[in-house]
Amino acid sequence: MYQTDFAAVANYFDELILAEIRKNNQAALGELYKTHYPMAVHLVCSNSGTEQEAKDVFQEAVIAFYERAQQPGFALTCKIKTYLYAVCRRLWLKRLSEKRRFDVSIAEGELFEGLEDEMDEVLQSEMSFERMHESLRALGEPCRSIIEDFYIRDFSMELIREKFGYTTADNAKNQKYKCLQRLKKLFFEDQRKGK
Amino acid sequence: MNEQLTILELLDRYVKGTLSAEEAADIEKRLTEDESFRKQAAEHREIANALKAYGRRVELKASLDVLHTDLQKPVVSLPVSGWRKYKTLSAVAASVALISIAATLWTTQNIRSQQNSDYQELRRTVDKIQKTQSALEKDLKRKPVVAPQFAATGFLISAQGYVITSQHVIAKADSVYIQNEKYGSLKAVVVHSDPVNDVSVLKIVTPVKIQSVPYTLSEDQADLAEDVYTLGFPREEVVFGEGSISSLTGYRANPNAYQISVPVNPGNSGGPLLNKQGALIGMISGVQTQAAGAAFAIKSTVLKEILLDSVLDSLQAPIRLPKTNAIKNSTRVEQVKKLRECVFLVNVYKN
Repeated sequence: MYQTDFAAVANYFDELILAEIRKNNQAALGELYKTHYPMAVHLVCSNSGTEQEAKDVFQEAVIAFYERAQQPGFALTCKIKTYLYAVCRRLWLKRLSEKRRFDVSIAEGELFEGLEDEMDEVLQSEMSFERMHESLRALGEPCRSIIEDFYIRDFSMELIREKFGYTTADNAKNQKYKCLQRLKKLFFEDQRKGK
Repeated sequence: MNEQLTILELLDRYVKGTLSAEEAADIEKRLTEDESFRKQAAEHREIANALKAYGRRVELKASLDVLHTDLQKPVVSLPVSGWRKYKTLSAVAASVALISIAATLWTTQNIRSQQNSDYQELRRTVDKIQKTQSALEKDLKRKPVVAPQFAATGFLISAQGYVITSQHVIAKADSVYIQNEKYGSLKAVVVHSDPVNDVSVLKIVTPVKIQSVPYTLSEDQADLAEDVYTLGFPREEVVFGEGSISSLTGYRANPNAYQISVPVNPGNSGGPLLNKQGALIGMISGVQTQAAGAAFAIKSTVLKEILLDSVLDSLQAPIRLPKTNAIKNSTRVEQVKKLRECVFLVNVYKN
């Protein structure tokens, strides 16, 4: 009987955290981070990893959860802990296999439905992020800032023209056009190479 | 060029969703009709989305890093919190375990002594003298001079300094010293114990150069009625004994041992058993008390298995067993002369 009560309380807590995270509440995200971080440290550090690696893996999992949570119509189908553990575990196993360490076995823990798809998505978005990061680095300044200002920060072209000191709006547009063409080339070429 | 710019601007607004209704309808139409435009639009949307996602992720990562630095106190790893949680429970579990271990030991000890009432392990007890001595010295309030409690025999099995003896001799030993005429007294440590077969492997730790071992371990089972002999320390001096293999099984038909008709006494335990060719065929382990002249020796095949396999876990390098039998063609007297140098009196100290 206690068991079910505990489960109900835990579920309630998870739902609360989820609701707050959807409202972009940093305190809730912090709570989630604080609660589950030791689990990741234990998981990674007891399987030949460092705390830094634990942090990376855990943040990856939290980002995945966060992005999931932002999607409209998302509902919890398992405990947050289960989700984070399963994702962390798979990510860490992947890192280990990249390090050519195959001799580790980590307790599987509770699984949840759709883990495989979830992992595909997690890895996909991680890869896309890395690729964009590389492309933007290769793009260089001032292109990078122009692109970031326009497409990420949603600045108007007028603001960009002022910021970068272009004399006419057409000049700024021209510059942005060239930058975007180069970025496309870098990004999609990388993608093709990646595949 | 200008046309391209217009298209780009249009696509930008299309992606950002700031098109007027008219423009939107126009674009939808072009999307369905113009293949290359559709491709361009898809590409544009993909990169714009990727950029958005990139931006979100960078921001999120930064805020997570802030949260991370907020974790001021060092992370308490799970086992510690687990320990706290289960402290009382584990205390109870530990006491239950202790009680059951003690009970098991007590009962099995009882069973063991009943079972083996007619089997005697041949270690020599040396504590009689010690008792009188300690009685004398009690008055003087001085620590009694430590004398070994048990003595038995052991013999060299490898020039790396490995010696084997009976397990019952060195069981629960605090320290083990071995001695003979050639090497004097050497300290040894127990590296492996096999209570089932009653075999223990010792390693000499006193730095001393060990000569090569002249005999080899016989790979085959000995024949019934084969002549055998042993050297051992039933007293302070080495004693020779001979006889023959009287049965191919040991006490209670133990297939890992021989029954031999060699006169043995307490202290002979752990002595080598050799045949006419100077090959080691076994190790003396005990006698049956209710039958005259029935002694037992563990077979060399079993010894070999222990030395090559079971020991491995506790050693850095495998034991190199002697490969050549240097006393094969010698007379018995010559053989014993060589053998003496490899047989030790094993002194066992306990507190």
